[in-house]
Amino acid sequence: MDELEKIEADDRVYSLNLGPQHPSTHGVLRILLDLDGEYIVKCDPVIGYGHRGHEKMGENRQYKQFLPNTSRMDYLSGLLYNHGFVLAVEKLAGIKVPERAKYIRVIASELNRISSHLLWFGTYLLDIGGITPFLYAFDDREHILDTLDTITGSRLTYSYCRFGGVTRDIDSKFIDMTRAFLKRMESRWADYEALVSKNVIFIHRTRDVGVIDVNLARQYGVTGPNLRACGVAFDVRRSEPYEVYDRFDFEIPTGTRGDALDRYDVRFREMQQSCRIIEQALEQLPEGEFLTPKVPQKLSPPKGEVYTAFESARGLTAYYLVSDGSPAPYRCHIRVPSFGNLNVLNDVLPGTMVADAIAILGSIDVVIPEIDR
Amino acid sequence: MSEGLLGSELFRLILGLVIVIAFSQLNALFLVWLERKVSGHIQLRPGPMEVGPHGLLQTIADGVKLIGKELILPLKADKKLFFLAPVLVFTPVLVGFLVLPFSPGLIIHDMNVGVLLVFAFSTITVLAILTGGWASNNKYALLGAVRSVAQNVAYEIPLLLAVLSVVLMVHSLSFSHIVESQKTVWFIFLQPLAGLIYLIAATAETNRAPFDIPEAESELVAGFHTEYSGMGFGLFFLAEYTNMFLVCAVATSLFFGGWNGLFGFSFGIPGVFWFLLKTYLLIFVIMWVRWTFPRVRFDQLMNFSWKVLIPLSIVNLLITAVVVKII
Amino acid sequence: MRIKDIESRMQNKFPDSPLKGDDTGVTGAKWSISVPISGIRDAAMEFDAAGFFLESITALDFQDTFELVYHFNCYEPGSRVTVRMLCGHDQVPPTICDIFRSAGWLEREVHEFFGIKFSGNEDLRPLLLPEDADYHPLRKTFGRVGAYHKREVIYG
Repeated sequence: MDELEKIEADDRVYSLNLGPQHPSTHGVLRILLDLDGEYIVKCDPVIGYGHRGHEKMGENRQYKQFLPNTSRMDYLSGLLYNHGFVLAVEKLAGIKVPERAKYIRVIASELNRISSHLLWFGTYLLDIGGITPFLYAFDDREHILDTLDTITGSRLTYSYCRFGGVTRDIDSKFIDMTRAFLKRMESRWADYEALVSKNVIFIHRTRDVGVIDVNLARQYGVTGPNLRACGVAFDVRRSEPYEVYDRFDFEIPTGTRGDALDRYDVRFREMQQSCRIIEQALEQLPEGEFLTPKVPQKLSPPKGEVYTAFESARGLTAYYLVSDGSPAPYRCHIRVPSFGNLNVLNDVLPGTMVADAIAILGSIDVVIPEIDR
Repeated sequence: MSEGLLGSELFRLILGLVIVIAFSQLNALFLVWLERKVSGHIQLRPGPMEVGPHGLLQTIADGVKLIGKELILPLKADKKLFFLAPVLVFTPVLVGFLVLPFSPGLIIHDMNVGVLLVFAFSTITVLAILTGGWASNNKYALLGAVRSVAQNVAYEIPLLLAVLSVVLMVHSLSFSHIVESQKTVWFIFLQPLAGLIYLIAATAETNRAPFDIPEAESELVAGFHTEYSGMGFGLFFLAEYTNMFLVCAVATSLFFGGWNGLFGFSFGIPGVFWFLLKTYLLIFVIMWVRWTFPRVRFDQLMNFSWKVLIPLSIVNLLITAVVVKII
Repeated sequence: MRIKDIESRMQNKFPDSPLKGDDTGVTGAKWSISVPISGIRDAAMEFDAAGFFLESITALDFQDTFELVYHFNCYEPGSRVTVRMLCGHDQVPPTICDIFRSAGWLEREVHEFFGIKFSGNEDLRPLLLPEDADYHPLRKTFGRVGAYHKREVIYG
């Protein structure tokens, strides 16, 4: 409190309420800023406007009933969240998954990851003031949504995975659409690079802005592309390979400075790596079942706990489930990456300008409903 | 006799003002449509298509909607200043039109200090923005207004220095003299640096992207006009486009030969069309830039003016002065 | 290998608490260790010194006790470690927010959902709940609850 009073007593400093309704806070995030002119003195993110009590809901629902909830947390990479949840439950209940289903899941997940990154790409440029790339990115994203639409029937909250496989097998139409998309993207990367990555103003706006060093990232539990931008090649797909990720040849892009430009660069190259994974997965795709038959409708896993980490579009995400042998989990906890990624703003924002705050917030790529749960 | 002359001159001015108001409004409506079309085509979409052929009447529909909207006065706002600001932002722009040389016979009032008049009055726009931002009683608006003042102070200097180098060459502040002396060679070829500096500074003066930091919608919501609704916002909006036309028209007169054709050949096209063609081309370039570049940061913008544009324009002015003296 | 480093550090620090290894990978952690309330700060400091980061803090509500579960991880493959701490319903565990800065928010979350106070954490305002919330929704005494067990029912 002393500090707050001191700041208020200093009449140079005034507070600005950034959000919860603001064009660039990506949902309902509110950041209380203390400003000295345009410079930020103190920052306090206020979250919880979208709190729906997913963890409580998880304890009151059967495992299968909770599945649709998962894609409502990080709505931009809903399929990845479905994927992680079925991984956790399968591990807990000891359900075997057919090879083909694993590949299908990986393909769908990586498509979803690209779509999430594309949306970030567009909105990030929008935050910085470039409006046109937004439309370009959404045009590309539309192709992914159409492609996923043919197998999942939805465009945003997919609920595609099931315990023991996926709801629907992929067909030649889906494979053709995916291949066409990969081909299309090959030339798009060059366009984006020319339009954005090499733009002088863009580089000046992002280089050395919002630097997160490795130690700060570790202190705050920052993961995902934000961590990789600091130069740490930490990716759950590589460190604890789940499904069939250990069979693909892909790189983990890393940065060196840990600034907004590096985070941009890492995500940009990650999309290309995801394309590589999809390509390989399509080639290796085996024939067979896409869903294990005889998974009981009402699942009652044995007593015990499971903690399953997976790489969502924003970083290390994990489901912690404790089963008491009944059809509903005794405790359902979700470790979300944006939690730590947003928390780091407390240390990064002070000393920067309001315009930088927007650029940093955008570069960290938070999804607020995921934090609020 | 003298009273009759005075009467006719006054009549001319009033008639001219009416025409200017009508033209500037229509022009602004057209420019808004053009901007939406240009942005649409740059962004792989058709832009407005529903109202009128290719959406030509869309802005009129938007205008009618804006007029029908309630003007909301924020709590604790300064009522007088709040409503004065949109009016204040529009008037100086109109004055500028009075001296614009559309063609040899089409200048409403050919003043011998026309250039000075345009730039003197265009400064009032900043005052209007500051008034609006201050009176809104909103921190975003205030931040936008403060940014606007700093930006305009910084960019007025290179703008005027660039114009001054042209004035030095012509020895006149009258638009018609300046245009006359570009009969064969446009000044953009003699003063390329000054022309470039003028265009950059003019973009900043009109708060256009990538220098649109006073309204930076992703940072300051809408900047100085955050709290304006209905026609209050509409006037700010129209003023921006009218202002854009004005700076491009001045650029055409000062650097791109005004009503003159290419290298002395007019190809039988009347001067006024040459003038409008060049002005709209410049406007198109400014729009093109807006939909291609991200926004610069506030301190980078100031650095660019004080550390690059102003020294360059001073050097350019000195060289011009020396060369003019020698010749 | 940081995991080996932390293994020996923890064995030195807590000779009475055995490391429970997990070969099946179900718990997601290499091994887990139970520490007393008084030992959590020491444990956290060891993890900090060994270059780990705090992945999550969560709590479980049992009839007889709370159980706080800390997950630590480092940037090497398969290095997750679970630290468990039993904490009575009226006990106040110490904070680790001065050791791991991410713990500040995580403890706020545990506090608002379970009503567990952390001594030393000055800022325990509700994080996700409304600022005037005085209820603790994830306690098994709040709202609709499937079951309320003693700890031994699940962990034997």
